Amino acid sequence: MGDPWQECMDHCVEVTKKAGEMIREALQKDIAVMQKSSPVDLVTVTDQKVEQLIISSIKEKFPDHSFIGEESVAAGAPSILTDNPTWIIDPIDGTTNFVHRFPFVSVSIGFTVKKEIEFGIVYSCIEDKMYTARKGKGAFCNGVPIKVSGQEEISQSMVLTEMGFKKDPEIFKTMMANLKTILTIPVHGIRSPGSAAINMCLVACGSADAYYHMGIHCWDMAGGAAVVTEAGGVIMDISGGPFDLMSRRLIVASSRAIAERIAKEITVFPVGRDDKEGE
Amino acid sequence: MADLWQSAMDHAVVREALQVDRKVMTKSSSVDLVTQTDQKVEKLIIQSVQEKFPSHRFIGEESVAAGERCVLTNEPTWIIDPIDGTTNFVHAFPFVAVSIGFCVNKQVEFGVVYSCLEDKMFTARRGKGSFCNGEPLQVSDQKDIKQAIIATEFGSSRDPEVVDHIFSSLRNIVSIPVHGVRGAGTAAINMCLVASGCVEAYYEIGIHVWDVAAGSLIVSEAGGVLMDVEGGQMDMMSRRIVAANSKIIAERIVKEISVFSPLRDDAPPDGHH
Repeated sequence: MGDPWQECMDHCVEVTKKAGEMIREALQKDIAVMQKSSPVDLVTVTDQKVEQLIISSIKEKFPDHSFIGEESVAAGAPSILTDNPTWIIDPIDGTTNFVHRFPFVSVSIGFTVKKEIEFGIVYSCIEDKMYTARKGKGAFCNGVPIKVSGQEEISQSMVLTEMGFKKDPEIFKTMMANLKTILTIPVHGIRSPGSAAINMCLVACGSADAYYHMGIHCWDMAGGAAVVTEAGGVIMDISGGPFDLMSRRLIVASSRAIAERIAKEITVFPVGRDDKEGE
Repeated sequence: MADLWQSAMDHAVVREALQVDRKVMTKSSSVDLVTQTDQKVEKLIIQSVQEKFPSHRFIGEESVAAGERCVLTNEPTWIIDPIDGTTNFVHAFPFVAVSIGFCVNKQVEFGVVYSCLEDKMFTARRGKGSFCNGEPLQVSDQKDIKQAIIATEFGSSRDPEVVDHIFSSLRNIVSIPVHGVRGAGTAAINMCLVASGCVEAYYEIGIHVWDVAAGSLIVSEAGGVLMDVEGGQMDMMSRRIVAANSKIIAERIVKEISVFSPLRDDAPPDGHH
């Protein structure tokens, strides 16, 4: 019997390409528009449009599937993961980059069944790089197989993370302290591309050796998690335990050695969960 | 009269495009290999330029590392970084650039930055604007620091005092708060990101003249400003830079920087820094 989810995955790639086109068009339009209105409002409009496009296109073909989409959740939909086939969608990952036309903006979709990620798609639409991964079948970028770097030595590693402002001064202090700790291990370098999904793909294709983050969401992680795992990488919770899609935190790395070293060095701060009320 | 430096500029652009050997990049994994490629590329550029313009001078990163003096005179001078983004190069992280700034009377006449993995050729001729693959560049017109993306890097010093300064500046900038902090991992490309309008400013202490010579003209020809980290005029040999879309953003950044002074690029050679 054929792959039960292949049809879903093929459809996913098609609708993701359309979503990417929609985003590129929004970027082509008069830059003045972005600058006239409040940047957050404009992004929200494109976010919503893209998410609607994706969900309605999938609902047509697969009417009994579930969805967790960033904008739907923002509008009040629940974000509880059930055993039902579920599409976990970030219509624009790299919101700030999108507003500034900084070249890392992606559409991210992870598809779960019985709470397991069956396939993931991340489309870095300005670079026109389509990352895909089907459980057990490897990871690809524009159809070419990709693999993690395999780097085991932390002092030769390139680490990705983000350094967004945190209102809570203690949390901000901890975030900066973590950065300093990692930098001075020492590692080769730290970079902040600005999109969680793309960060995961950069590890998957060997351009970076680790990415850690506390405070993202399941829709940022679901697509990239499949890509990294299928590229031979390691994914775990920031504490070193098993990865938890709803935990709002993760470490991905080219090897267990690097992932565990980062887990050791990081001081955890609370970020809530995607599946708890009021988070 | 034809632009004296146009033929020099054309020459640089063509040579860049031909010299980057991608095969070496994808195979490389050791720092030694990068150094060899650095030297190879720099030699190639210098030899090819010397053939056409035998009276011109050079300041090249690898030549200086090998003991050449790093002094800028009034003579036509090519300031070369054969690979800017060394660490990125080793990791195949997508930002690696060749940077060449051409100076006459200590003023940058043209600048070329070739982001070779992206295949983006950034160029600027003094008085004639900045371009990326032939498309004109313009800095962003964002004047509100709280809507700005700032580019900076951690640099390659792990000296605890230096790291402290760098983190102080970073903490201050992030908590303004700005929209975000990013870094491509190469000074030359960070400056091109300012010129392209993708980020509002770039600041760093610890870079070298060969990292910023070309980028400085690309930024100013795209409508941007250059400043020292203490607010005065940018000094290419000082190892410090602020490049921004506007004076107001540059001045705001300067307020937050925790200043220190690395050894100048034109300091007398009493020991390599």
